[in-house]
Amino acid sequence: MKKFLTLLSALPAILLFAWLGCGGDKSKGVIAYTPQTLSNPFFGVIGDHIRAEAEQNGYEVLIVDPDYDVKKQSDQFDDFIAKNVTAIVLVPCDRLSVGPAVQAANKAGIPVFTVDAKCAAEGVKIEGHVGTDNFQGGELAGKAMIDALGEKGGKVLILDLKRAHSCVLRVEGFKKVINAHNKESTGKIEVVAELDGNGDRTKGYQSTADALQAHSDLDAIFAINDPSALGAYTAVKEAKRQDKIKIIGFDGQLDGKQAIKEGKIYGDPIQHPDKMGKLIVQLIVKYQAGEEIQPETLIPATLYTKAEADQDPDLK
Amino acid sequence: MKSKLDARKLLSEYGNVLVLLLLCAFISIVTLEEQSPRSTAAANRLAEKIAQASPKGANVIVLVRSGKGQQEFADKLKDALTNAGLHVPDSIVGTPRDARIALEKQTATIAAIAADNHMATFCADQLPNLGKAITALNKTTVHQPRKHKWPNFLKKENLLNVLKQISIVAIIAIGMTMVIITAGIDLSVGSLIAFSGVITAVSIQHLAGGGDPTTGHLLLGSAAGILVCAIIGMGTGSLVTLFNIPAFIVTLGVMFIAKGLAFIFSESAPIPVSNEGFAWLGRGSDLMGLPNSVVLMLLLYVIAHVIMAHTSIGRYIYAVGGNPEAARLSGVPVKWVLVFVYTLCGLLAGLGGVMEASLHITGDPKSGTLVELQVIAAVVVGGTSLAGGQGKIFGTLVGALIIGVIRNGMNLTGVEAHMQSVVYGVVILIAVMVDQLKNRSAKTGA
Repeated sequence: MKKFLTLLSALPAILLFAWLGCGGDKSKGVIAYTPQTLSNPFFGVIGDHIRAEAEQNGYEVLIVDPDYDVKKQSDQFDDFIAKNVTAIVLVPCDRLSVGPAVQAANKAGIPVFTVDAKCAAEGVKIEGHVGTDNFQGGELAGKAMIDALGEKGGKVLILDLKRAHSCVLRVEGFKKVINAHNKESTGKIEVVAELDGNGDRTKGYQSTADALQAHSDLDAIFAINDPSALGAYTAVKEAKRQDKIKIIGFDGQLDGKQAIKEGKIYGDPIQHPDKMGKLIVQLIVKYQAGEEIQPETLIPATLYTKAEADQDPDLK
Repeated sequence: MKSKLDARKLLSEYGNVLVLLLLCAFISIVTLEEQSPRSTAAANRLAEKIAQASPKGANVIVLVRSGKGQQEFADKLKDALTNAGLHVPDSIVGTPRDARIALEKQTATIAAIAADNHMATFCADQLPNLGKAITALNKTTVHQPRKHKWPNFLKKENLLNVLKQISIVAIIAIGMTMVIITAGIDLSVGSLIAFSGVITAVSIQHLAGGGDPTTGHLLLGSAAGILVCAIIGMGTGSLVTLFNIPAFIVTLGVMFIAKGLAFIFSESAPIPVSNEGFAWLGRGSDLMGLPNSVVLMLLLYVIAHVIMAHTSIGRYIYAVGGNPEAARLSGVPVKWVLVFVYTLCGLLAGLGGVMEASLHITGDPKSGTLVELQVIAAVVVGGTSLAGGQGKIFGTLVGALIIGVIRNGMNLTGVEAHMQSVVYGVVILIAVMVDQLKNRSAKTGA
């Protein structure tokens, strides 16, 4: 017991040493980043490029993970405010309930920027947004679907994620192209089911397995991101229908790209998280310089199929 | 000799306080950073320094980033500079954009800029170029208050944050402590947070009938959320006692039911409450700058402590957990005690749900996910035995603080997220081990 007490009394000394030991740093400030989750590599890539670009511009970076929990994200905002950071980069866990946290940052004078997904709460000030043009990406997916199914058309399952606005836009863009196609062409493409894929492998697998039972003549699947597309592939393979059913994903994460190269997925409209991370920091640097900034920058998605995958040096 | 024994007794009862203190000290060390003071004294010192470097009557601009308390700081600086015999033609509190526009307008020669740390960075970056374009600025020097070292963790604002952040978990942990002392468990509290929040938001919006809800509606809606969860808790307790089903199973079932109901009642979408006043409980601070949620938490802990330490129901709860058969034989109404603790746990989870909804001004069916595990962790780290029969209410508060302090410390220093999870696990294990060692040394020492 005595040892503990001695240790306790030694603490002020330790504190003093730490105070003496710390040198001043010449950083311009801290850019804090709170995405929806870091378990999705997409947000990790954005974070990596935020870090690279910020450090080049003399800023430190603080990255935290709220794990899809708005409460945690709000707590992180409080921590950022206590730390008096230069700017906050946010991917809202929930586009509405994150509002009060953003307001708190607004009140503290800390500029908030969003990347990928927007904040839709009322009475908040977002200085700038960088994201993918999800509607246009959905249109690309629609075009890819028409290519994949060819002349005769077919029956399609959509794996959606209704609580993410970005994914709703993807489905809307997809349907717009498909509807336009159906008006002009004889080979109609029919959406036979829209199920929740939860944006992950597990749910993507379950929903697809169920849909395969209900629709023995399914021809293709559009999944709103790579994890759910890969889950769908597992179900299709299990039913031994991988030769007949074409899958189109979204995002262009590494394992998604690999699956495209291996022919498991037909193609992806890919996002460019590297550009997003870079652009958002450039936006912050401009803001800090007192220049006028564009409130919204949308990066167009591009289509990525086997042809691109075969040229990709990042893949095995 | 006596004092030594007292210290030993104290440590064996509240051994986790030691863990908490060590943690606080450690986190203070690692969050030590340069701080920019905003006090009157700092403003005066800065003004003095600028006055020494500039001729009398020279023009000095005040430039600080907008934010809480920043206007006051700018005013202090302006007063101090004027008192020091300098002329302050412009005082800007705003964004870098505001600063640039204001600087570009200057025509008279500016000798110096008095800035806060953010604007000093802005000036260091931008002034060289601005100075070339605008003659008024080409000899301008920038000054900011002398920085001092202080841990971010120990800032008053941050300490209040930590208390505010743990308040929901800590309040529910009161109920959970009592449940665990009776050798039970309640896995449903996380789902009840979501359910209560949704019921509260739905009731408020329904009562208001499409219009803006009044304070009365807010109170009634919150009461509905809390009451419904208390009733669910009562149901849980009844199932545990009447059918003798293990609490783990009953509350697992209730967990799924409440989660599902939360999504059904909210139609899977968060329900915003259209009255900002609803944020009073979750975000307001009325009593001496203390957040309302923290005041509520402390109040509930005092009440719970009194109940557990000084009333017969408290003694019954310990007795039921220690040896239910002996308790029954000595006349303790075992079944009623069990129903009571589960009802209270449900009620507090309902209150937690209202607080969470208030925090976001939204009833969100997704909220509360896995919070039951945080609550259980707080209770266990607080020294309550899962075997029942022993535990201390304030120990649980310390447990919640330990977990909150670690989380805050890791966020302030930017510890990577998966590492955070590992650290949580390790700390839970260490805290429980220290507690066991204390118990052992207390027993052998006596």
